[in-house]
Amino acid sequence: VGSLLMKETDSAIITVYIGATVPTGFEHTAAEEVQEKIGVDARISKDRGRIYFPISTDKLFQVHRLRSVDNLFVVVEEYDHYQFKESKEETLMELQQLASKLPWSNALKVWELNRSLKKKKGHRKGGNSTRVKPDSEASVADTRQQELPRETSPAGGDAKTESVADPESCQQDSEEALPEARLIKFRVTCNRAGDKHSFSSNEAARDFGGAVQEFFQWKADMTKFDIEVLLNIHNEEVVVGIALTEESLHRRNISHFGPTTLRSTLCYGMLRLCKPQVSDVILDPMCGTGAIPLEGAIEFNSSFYVAGDNNDMAVNRTVNNVSHIQKRRADKGSSSGLPIDTVQWDVCNLPIKTSSVDIIITDMPFGKRMGSRKKNWDLYPSCLREMARVCRPGSGKAVLLTQDKKCFAKAVSQMGGLWRKVLTVWVNVGGLHAGVYLLKRTAAVFGQTPEDVRQPRGMAGTQMDERDNK
Amino acid sequence: MKLLTHNMLTSHVKGVTKGYPLLIKATEVKVNDVDFNPQFVCRMIPKLEWSALVEAADLLGHRQDLPSELVPDYEKNEDFLKKVHRALLEVEVIEGCLQCPESGREFPISRGIPNMLLNEDEV
Repeated sequence: VGSLLMKETDSAIITVYIGATVPTGFEHTAAEEVQEKIGVDARISKDRGRIYFPISTDKLFQVHRLRSVDNLFVVVEEYDHYQFKESKEETLMELQQLASKLPWSNALKVWELNRSLKKKKGHRKGGNSTRVKPDSEASVADTRQQELPRETSPAGGDAKTESVADPESCQQDSEEALPEARLIKFRVTCNRAGDKHSFSSNEAARDFGGAVQEFFQWKADMTKFDIEVLLNIHNEEVVVGIALTEESLHRRNISHFGPTTLRSTLCYGMLRLCKPQVSDVILDPMCGTGAIPLEGAIEFNSSFYVAGDNNDMAVNRTVNNVSHIQKRRADKGSSSGLPIDTVQWDVCNLPIKTSSVDIIITDMPFGKRMGSRKKNWDLYPSCLREMARVCRPGSGKAVLLTQDKKCFAKAVSQMGGLWRKVLTVWVNVGGLHAGVYLLKRTAAVFGQTPEDVRQPRGMAGTQMDERDNK
Repeated sequence: MKLLTHNMLTSHVKGVTKGYPLLIKATEVKVNDVDFNPQFVCRMIPKLEWSALVEAADLLGHRQDLPSELVPDYEKNEDFLKKVHRALLEVEVIEGCLQCPESGREFPISRGIPNMLLNEDEV
């Protein structure tokens, strides 16, 4: 069988299906983004955290503009109701036979096209994951870099993610032109979820991988691979794909990490939820390393962001992260300044005029990752009160991420006169189950509801009108 | 610190009722290049304390003859909007401090970051 990779430029436009992994809970916002930027309808998979959409090869570059996506792959084949054989031996044998029957050709063309696209972009090695700038001050390595970016579905009693290879992905460094000029290296990664399978993901990856190797005469390499073949099995749904992204792309903006830096895809999902408008003033009063406001300043750049934290290291890291992006933009020749500022402050006592903020968006301390449960009992109500004060009555919004759901629910119910819960998105952050809450600021003026027992901060004479045009 | 941020900042020292606007004392100022969005500027102007912006820009030497009071029909005046854009987003105080107009308390600005944390006795 020789290589199925075309030597001559095959300029025929083909349409393929792309699969994307997104933070669980944000499948719908990701589908929205696909509709907005690519103009096609995405299907949300039953396997949580995945969406699928068609794309023609002339538009392939657009997938790299998607900000809600952690990883991308091109679908080779998809089975909605794969009938697994009774015994493990038969099932694995069938998977082996599958390798030579699959329609690899189009997917491989897309893989190759994608590779050339990335080279043209001058794609940075290793994405934006954990590189420390040589001239930066010591940055704390992110403790969550061990986690697999691939989310596993806890549905079904037996969900596991196992790779044949070491999950640490490796950036290929080959600059050689044609793939056939040298031997292709590959690996197979299998995600398996469901309680009726007779085999493990390890076994499936091993046997399927063996057959793929046999068929293509590629070389198996666990760390320095060119092609990553994905075998995703979720109950009766089986998807074979080829990866288009390396694993560590979801921290694209951050070069200076803190202990709890949120991945950019999650930040993007939260921002989309609050629908930033032109000239909205958006505050992150507990910004940590600034991941959320920075993502906003880049992607929703018609608004203005103020990032704040009480911690020295946090505000300095935020400024470093902003500078890093600005320098990158300046190097590319575009105007570098971002609509973002950083202030050091206490979230319970904000030095901000009453009713001057449109949106509050933040990752609230979890208690397990940072702070403590006891502290949250006092912190959350004070926070919500102060946030209500600075937020514009009637039109203001808040999008708050927290794992301490009990504490948060109590605090919100205490603040019913100032905040109204609109919806909740359940997400997974660093393996912890958390909620993203969208709140609307009521029309009640601060200082007149039973909740705000403290004196309102002097409303310095503004010429502000009461226009509620949102 | 950009002047748009300064426009929202206020002193929150205990007992202070006239803590706005904060007086700027700058020892280092920088001017950046930020993409101009006329719609952004237009919609931001009504949200601002205009005189505070003009005073601050003036003090930093970047007033660019902005008027003390808003002229009607500014929405269509692109020249004017560009000047406001520059004052709001492009001028930055890197080093210096902000002073509470009532208590005189100074909040330092370092690396562009104002430190607004209060001591325990000031809260």
